[in-house]
Amino acid sequence: MTHAARRDGRGWATAAFTIVTCAVFLLLFLFLQQLWAVFALLAAGIVIAVVAARCGLLARANAGFADHGRKTSALLVVALLVVAGFFHNAPYPLLMLSTVLLFIAACLGLHIQSGYAGIINFAGAAFFGIGAYTTAVLSAHTAIPHLPVLAAGGVMAALIGSILILPVLRTYGYYEALVTIAFGILFRTFMEVNNTFGGPQGLTLPGLDLFGWSFNNSLSLGGIDISFYMNYLLLSLLLVVGGIAIVLRIERSWVGLNLDAVRLDETAAKAFGISVARWKITAFTLGNLLCGIAGGVYGMMQGFISPASFAFSDSLIMISIIILGGIGNPWGVIPAAAIIIMLPEKLQFIQEYRFLLYGILVILILLFRPQGLMPRRLRAYFPGSEVRE
Amino acid sequence: MEFGLFAQYTFNGLMLGVVYAMVAVGFTLFFGVLDIIQFSHGDVLMAGAFAGLASFLGMQALGIHSPVVLAVGVVLAAGLGMALLGAVVAKYFVLPLRSAPSLNTLLITLMLGSVLRELVRLFFPNGSEPQPFPRLLPGGAFHWGGFTLQYGSALLLIGGALTIVAVDLVVTRTKLGLAIRAIAQDGETAKIMGINFERVVLITFALGSALGGLGGVVYGFYYSEINFNIGLLLGIIGFSAAIVGGLGNIYGAVIGGFLFAALQTIGSVALPFSSAYNNVFAFAAIIILIAWKPTGLIPEKTSERV
Amino acid sequence: MSELLACRGVTVRFGGLTALDGLDLAVGRGQILGLIGPNGSGKTTLFNAVTGIYEIASGEIVLDGRDISQLSPQNIYRAGIARTFQRSRLCLPLTVFDNIMIGNHQRLDNGLWFNLFRRGRLRAQFEENFAKARLLVKTFNANLAERLFSAAGALGMIDRRRVEICRALVSEPKLLLLDEPSAGMTREETRELMDDILLARDRIRGLTIIIIEHEMSVIERITEHCAVLNYGKKICEGAFREVAADLRVQEAYLGQAVAGNG
Repeated sequence: MTHAARRDGRGWATAAFTIVTCAVFLLLFLFLQQLWAVFALLAAGIVIAVVAARCGLLARANAGFADHGRKTSALLVVALLVVAGFFHNAPYPLLMLSTVLLFIAACLGLHIQSGYAGIINFAGAAFFGIGAYTTAVLSAHTAIPHLPVLAAGGVMAALIGSILILPVLRTYGYYEALVTIAFGILFRTFMEVNNTFGGPQGLTLPGLDLFGWSFNNSLSLGGIDISFYMNYLLLSLLLVVGGIAIVLRIERSWVGLNLDAVRLDETAAKAFGISVARWKITAFTLGNLLCGIAGGVYGMMQGFISPASFAFSDSLIMISIIILGGIGNPWGVIPAAAIIIMLPEKLQFIQEYRFLLYGILVILILLFRPQGLMPRRLRAYFPGSEVRE
Repeated sequence: MEFGLFAQYTFNGLMLGVVYAMVAVGFTLFFGVLDIIQFSHGDVLMAGAFAGLASFLGMQALGIHSPVVLAVGVVLAAGLGMALLGAVVAKYFVLPLRSAPSLNTLLITLMLGSVLRELVRLFFPNGSEPQPFPRLLPGGAFHWGGFTLQYGSALLLIGGALTIVAVDLVVTRTKLGLAIRAIAQDGETAKIMGINFERVVLITFALGSALGGLGGVVYGFYYSEINFNIGLLLGIIGFSAAIVGGLGNIYGAVIGGFLFAALQTIGSVALPFSSAYNNVFAFAAIIILIAWKPTGLIPEKTSERV
Repeated sequence: MSELLACRGVTVRFGGLTALDGLDLAVGRGQILGLIGPNGSGKTTLFNAVTGIYEIASGEIVLDGRDISQLSPQNIYRAGIARTFQRSRLCLPLTVFDNIMIGNHQRLDNGLWFNLFRRGRLRAQFEENFAKARLLVKTFNANLAERLFSAAGALGMIDRRRVEICRALVSEPKLLLLDEPSAGMTREETRELMDDILLARDRIRGLTIIIIEHEMSVIERITEHCAVLNYGKKICEGAFREVAADLRVQEAYLGQAVAGNG
């Protein structure tokens, strides 16, 4: 075995070990009920994470993720299914896991925009909401099957997003941020004052029904009762796997290169014949599409949506997930979303303080570890096949 | 429209304009020295209003009842408190990120705003509810036809406008102002010329934030009610006003502020929708404006060097 | 010798400031033209005007008989003009290979569908371009060819410059604009880089270069012809020796040595 290959094998082994550890941790986290136990677990988790970071294990795991995408994804899926299987009849953990998955999907969309094209979208929750509202309206007033309805949620988010394309194209940085912030707040305010879409009371949604399979029915498999949330969990998982595949393929292709060039230096990109407009539109549209689809599934899973669920602070949560995970690294979104969504759900007493805590968390990250939990790595178009130094 | 009503609307618009201008000037000052947007500036205004309110409650608890003393105390608490806050923000959150991508500064100031909002909501007594702001200004009013002008309101309008003028005088007429303008022109050269870069930046942030804090007091006195989330809206409108006026230009920011106030006032009178849509229109106007004139009606001072 | 690029009466204004004032300039095919003049004389402005980053107020710029003065930067690049920047504009977080591929952008298949779902064909394209980039970089420096997948930010100044020139050359331009390639480098490094540039010109037939330089020894060594700008106007043109002897040039550089340490 060559030196490089051995190092490579260790990367994969570390990544696998990390996934298994995280799965065990997740299982315990969801299982434990006493507050002191959860705290002990969290303390242990922080110690393990810090030690792992100090020993360079995290960096090696990060390399493992990047170089062995297929194997790590498969293992991740299996690990999640094992955890979900453990809680097969416990609605609350399943709901929490599904919510995390849907936020991962939405954040992967925002990640295409911010991590690659450099468009920071501060209206993530609005696009998520557009997907949810579209799904609600279409499923309530039409007999369109639910699969195209979910797709329509994504398309609608992308279409409404295209209103913002002109200002986003003509500006950069702060101005661009202002446009998306204004839109995010506009969306929520509009939904609140407008009675057509239920006003502040919101709308109720029917359960999802795909090809005659009703998602809101509990299942029984060989005498074992399974909560209906398992349906949503599996669908959300599918969405995340698809999202990761798309994002990784974007990164490992000329498209990713073009997006990076646009983000890093617009003037130079133009001077080399790269169409800044084309790539910004591509990234913005794709990102909103993914965000909208995730929002649609979220709406159906919750059964109820209201403007308050899509506030500006929710957009900030999505941005926090991306920053915490490590901007530009799609794998980072996974642990970051798990931490940011589940922690306040589990520790109800911090629920009230969560926006404050996230704000402080993001500030600390920006000051002391701007590259996030899993820093972005150099692009490898076909990992493992290149000439290695 | 009858004269009285017209005058009333005009006065309301002017008042709103002064508040917007007081926020916008801060944005434009910060952008001038550091080329950054301090997104939490709107929340600094909110924090100023709450600092004023807290000092009022404190003084009252100490048994002070003279409205003049109380009003001066409120103004000082807001102005000085926010000056300090502004300098702290600059020193510990903005300057350390000088060499990082500008996106990071944007995020950190945005999150600071969120932290300020949450701190007030969670830790100010009953902070999630709107708070009554003390009425300390002289009562009595001036009547002209159907138009009633409270003396207190007139005082606010004049006071607010004078504060902006004072800030402008500091920037254009003093040695400190010269240093601020030198840094705005070219920070590197200014440093070589012996200007203490960090000190001037901190003072600029203190100055702009104090103005924002006073804006919060003006807001509180005029509307008699403040709320933990007024900052978000005022910050966005103040930033937009600064963009419209061309970032880095004080009077441009003032004009931008009044323009937005005029748009909103006219919108609330002329548009056939309920006033609930006011903010929807304000935000739509911002998006359209940026699509139309991305860097403002008066162009921004700098252009990128290739 | 036929003209490759001709600027006729090119004027660029920024507000009240006239940065280029009716400039006439012609470059012959295969020539290396040196562009000299004091700071602020309009040299970089001319590059920006030629590459379409600045709009010209009047005049015309003709490349190979085609008026390019109204084209966008993208289209000018496609027409065959590539450049380097005064201040290095490499994408430092990206690899050397990525940076070079940015220059090669128009020959890549950039379709979304192709990139997402035709990974096999993408791989073939990747390997072909990898070989191409490697060959190009090897022309410059064998060591650098081994570092194609290092971050550009991890390279030293001279290697970054080399990458920048490779990024411009990879599109096989007719005209290469070099904006102060010696900036920020030692004398030794500058000499090395000039060797590279001359070598590249010998290997790439028909390559025409315009170079902005303050280092007069560089100009003397590699250019066949120079033009001197001052206040946005061409004040003198000719072989380096003639130009250096010209009184007006000495006047423009008053206070600076005309030759030698520039």
